Amino acid sequence: MEQELRTSFHEELDGIQSEVLKLAEDVILFIPKITTAFLEKDAETAQTLIDADEDLDRASIALDERCCQALALQQPMAKDLRFIVSAMSINNDIERSGDLAVNVAKATTRMKDAKLTPELEDIISKMSEQAVQLLKSAMVAYVKQEVELADELGKMDDVLDDLNYDCLKAGLNANTAGQIDLPTAVQVVLIGRYYERIGDHAVNIGERIHYMVTGEIAK
Amino acid sequence: MNGANNMSDVNNMTDVSDLNGTANSMNGEQEHIFYARDLNIYYGDHHAVADVNLDIYSKEITAFIGPSGCGKTSVLRCYNRMNDLIPIAKVEGTLEYKGLNLYGSQIDPVEVRRRIGMVFQKPNPFPKSIYENVAYGPKVCGMSRNRSELDDIVERSLKRAALWDEVKGRLKSSAFGLSGGQQQRLCIARAIAVDPDVLLMDEPCSSLDPIATTRIEELMDGLKNDYTIIIVTHNMQQAARISDKTAFFTTEENAETGMRTGMLIEFDIAEKIFSNPNDERTENYVTGRFG
Repeated sequence: MEQELRTSFHEELDGIQSEVLKLAEDVILFIPKITTAFLEKDAETAQTLIDADEDLDRASIALDERCCQALALQQPMAKDLRFIVSAMSINNDIERSGDLAVNVAKATTRMKDAKLTPELEDIISKMSEQAVQLLKSAMVAYVKQEVELADELGKMDDVLDDLNYDCLKAGLNANTAGQIDLPTAVQVVLIGRYYERIGDHAVNIGERIHYMVTGEIAK
Repeated sequence: MNGANNMSDVNNMTDVSDLNGTANSMNGEQEHIFYARDLNIYYGDHHAVADVNLDIYSKEITAFIGPSGCGKTSVLRCYNRMNDLIPIAKVEGTLEYKGLNLYGSQIDPVEVRRRIGMVFQKPNPFPKSIYENVAYGPKVCGMSRNRSELDDIVERSLKRAALWDEVKGRLKSSAFGLSGGQQQRLCIARAIAVDPDVLLMDEPCSSLDPIATTRIEELMDGLKNDYTIIIVTHNMQQAARISDKTAFFTTEENAETGMRTGMLIEFDIAEKIFSNPNDERTENYVTGRFG
């Protein structure tokens, strides 16, 4: 009769997974708050959220250290090795997504008096929703180890790429039409780019999940 | 003998010099030096190992891993006919070395063991001087015409075993005065002094400390340029560090007899075995999930 071994190590792996999910959840909640602050020109809330990013950074570093410790002390092999290596990579992508959201918050503090067109506001709102949706789907794929869903993130990201192009076009058009000044147009284009990069990180997470489950590096 | 009668003889083989045959097939650029098909090992009524099919490639390190009793040492001992020394052992199936049936009736087991050397779990130097330990094999095999040639062989072997610098000033001293790690390297020097093709290593580091283990591993990495090495190890990290290919063995219980029989589950490049094995039993073993 076979008996399960290394149960405390496997509990540690479960703990690492919980930490990844907790960090992702924090970033997923972070993004719409920042978007709302931006659209409502709420510089005070934006600053609060910028400060809160330090907690995310600390959690990310702690998770990285926990993974390193598991590698050093437990010397995992095969799927356990892939799990920890993937957790470290996913941790990095989540943390970077948080940083990109913070960039939007920082822009909010700089653009207190800027007025956007309804079209631009609508695009930014949609980009925020899509970025959140991508991260949520990535985490569902992660926790359920669903390779198909992980592989679909690339297609989901196409929507965000299209919105980014719409943002660029609308920003330049609004400036040409005299509706927004040039610094605001540049800032809006950059903000669109930040959301688009969050989508890229979600796609990276999908690739890591593919590797974690199958052992094959998808590109 | 245990086995010889059960193996098909190779035609036209007249003396031990036929062991100079060449590998009988290629896998891409690589030649395999050992070819095992349906290899079965019995100890009396106990079917110890069943149906092993395995190719060992030249100038590589192949590691055998698996739980105790899975047959990895039994298989290792087939490669230089050490199982002949166990009266109740019986070997069936095909086991070829460079295309020749290792268990053919005209094959001399002593010559086999010269070409296919073995290093054991515990260092086992002879109760002689360091020099005599290394010189013994070449002398018996008549490999040197005079003392000077023998000196050269001893020096060369000790250098290859990365031991020369540590012992060159005390070659006449007893081998028992060496540390465990040095004794094991002396045993490796002794094995390579007779110019073998293959080194079989049965848990060669299990009685050594981490530094001595690292030295042996470094040594193996250097030796694989000249020798084919097969190592049995219980240390998975060691197998992962040093082997080019890894074979995972396990045991399964016979429902009728209650006896356990070893079998080869998976054989692949080490990177594959330790990062993404094909078989769930391998996965469970290398991750330490079940036992």
